[in-house]
Amino acid sequence: MISNLMKWNVSGLLPRIRNRSPQKTISNGLMAAQGNRGGVIRLCARYGIIVTAFPLFALAMEPLDDESMANVAGQGGMSISGDVFINEEGGPISNATFGDCTDNRRCGARLASQFSEDGGWWVLDDFRGRFQFDGLTLRVRHIDSGFGGDGADFDRSVLEIGLPGTVSMEEVRYTLGTSTTARPTDPGFQQTNFYSIQMEGDMRLEGNVLVFPTGNP
Amino acid sequence: MFYQNNETARKLRNSRLFNKACSDEIAKSLAYSRVSFDANPAKTRKAFYTAAVLIVLSIPASLATAQPAKPGSLKQLSDTEMSAVSGQGIGVVLEDFLFSHGTDAQEGQLFEIGGVTTADGQAVRLTVNHLYVAGPDSQYGQNLGPVNLGRLNNPYQISLLDGDDPAINVPGQAVVEFAAPSQVTDGSGYDCLSSSAGAGSGSCSSRPASGGFHGERPDIGLSLQAEINGSSSFLNVHARSAVVDGSYIRLWGDETLNQLAGEIQMNFYTPELSISACDETGSGCGDRVRLTDLAMELSLGNTHQPLLLSVHGADAPDNKAGNLNLQIATIRQPAAGDIASDGGRAGSNTAVWDFYDNYYSNPDYRSNIHVGNMQIGDRDMGGARLEGMLIQHLDITTRDLQP
Repeated sequence: MISNLMKWNVSGLLPRIRNRSPQKTISNGLMAAQGNRGGVIRLCARYGIIVTAFPLFALAMEPLDDESMANVAGQGGMSISGDVFINEEGGPISNATFGDCTDNRRCGARLASQFSEDGGWWVLDDFRGRFQFDGLTLRVRHIDSGFGGDGADFDRSVLEIGLPGTVSMEEVRYTLGTSTTARPTDPGFQQTNFYSIQMEGDMRLEGNVLVFPTGNP
Repeated sequence: MFYQNNETARKLRNSRLFNKACSDEIAKSLAYSRVSFDANPAKTRKAFYTAAVLIVLSIPASLATAQPAKPGSLKQLSDTEMSAVSGQGIGVVLEDFLFSHGTDAQEGQLFEIGGVTTADGQAVRLTVNHLYVAGPDSQYGQNLGPVNLGRLNNPYQISLLDGDDPAINVPGQAVVEFAAPSQVTDGSGYDCLSSSAGAGSGSCSSRPASGGFHGERPDIGLSLQAEINGSSSFLNVHARSAVVDGSYIRLWGDETLNQLAGEIQMNFYTPELSISACDETGSGCGDRVRLTDLAMELSLGNTHQPLLLSVHGADAPDNKAGNLNLQIATIRQPAAGDIASDGGRAGSNTAVWDFYDNYYSNPDYRSNIHVGNMQIGDRDMGGARLEGMLIQHLDITTRDLQP
């Protein structure tokens, strides 16, 4: 069964979300709120998965009057900005192996996966850093044209994820390797690292990801 | 819920109130009819007629004041429509896609690969000067534009397949598949190598750029710099108009071995793969090596010999513990049966004969590498072909060079 393919272990993960300041431009989103300074509060990213989050301070939601609410159709989609820290000062675990990023102890998150019974583990180790992006969009789009002629024959709706154009990274790093145990603190721990990656600065990521069911939906 | 205007909201509220009043009256009539049917059939018939009339009257009222369906809102499916839904998998198409990252000290960009050392333990600083996936005619990454990856009628797919299907042939298992656009055989495909191919010229679904449309064949490039003790070497690899149609990764759980098993088909076609040693300024290149009309079709694992990917556990010998193991086991034995002395099917156990015939004659199990021409500078070295390679046994284990 597919459910018995792999075992997973996540340890030492501590994400933090910083709320972005409100922007003055209005986006045609599902929900709208007016802060004390005016404008629309954008949705923030959390755990790399997009959920709704509102700031807990300074810019509380206020009720809209009927006329303003009547103008919101809620079908234009969603625009999302994110500022996500992963283990910027270490994770939640503090022991001889895990600590903050000022000493030699491990401070990044660790994801381990076991592909065989009683076997070793694939490891994504020391994962940490900061990701900032602005303008990730979500909407339903009907395609009946373009795409070099494919659109007319397709004539269906898709989920469109608009990529942000630029993703800013700060101190992003991870290590890929294999290990005898899921955690470094387990007995018999032995790890072989294949390579480590470190990234800084702006990465160009442009375009749209179109997702739709195949077969006969 | 948000309403288009207050007038519609008022009508909807009134409609709901009216419908609620009708529903209450219908319920009363039906309740009375249940209680009184045996006692007074005439009154019961009257109750039924009353309920029926109310039901009929309430339907137009609901329809007259109902909110008109907005574009994009959910609609009810009929049983016939729902029975036709198969929901095979998820299709993904990247529209106007562009990825680029690298190292540029002035722009504050850094992209490094660490953990690499020389054989004598010296650290190697491996810097990715540029990594990109972009549109065609990028001039080796100098002029990046958008490209589509996948087509709406032939997208990248994530699917769950039935292992009992003879085409999949993993009985009793559900198989997860990550697949690139499939190759087509209906005459609508394009030549996989030509960057100016027209429809009907080949089997690849992804189209080259033409007539202002950027197509579905990206330029892909990687520029690396390796620095050891202050001395740098450069390696740049660029693929023009690359195609991966027909590639897939299939994964399932092997219940006998209790581990992940798989099958990988890796296709890669490009009219030009160039290799050079230019530095980040584009100078110091020497001669550029060009492999033209490169076609690679690599098969790793199949249903007779799945690819087994695992990591040695703590109980493995010291030199293997914690290291990656990539294995294609020898073919399993078929059911008992003899093959005739002449090797023909007529005198053999047909099941056993078909088993071996499928294994040795199925082109899907074979790997091929074609190079149209290798050019170094201005010298042509000719082409090369490696065809029909069948991997019958493979066992690779990594080893940590750290003492």
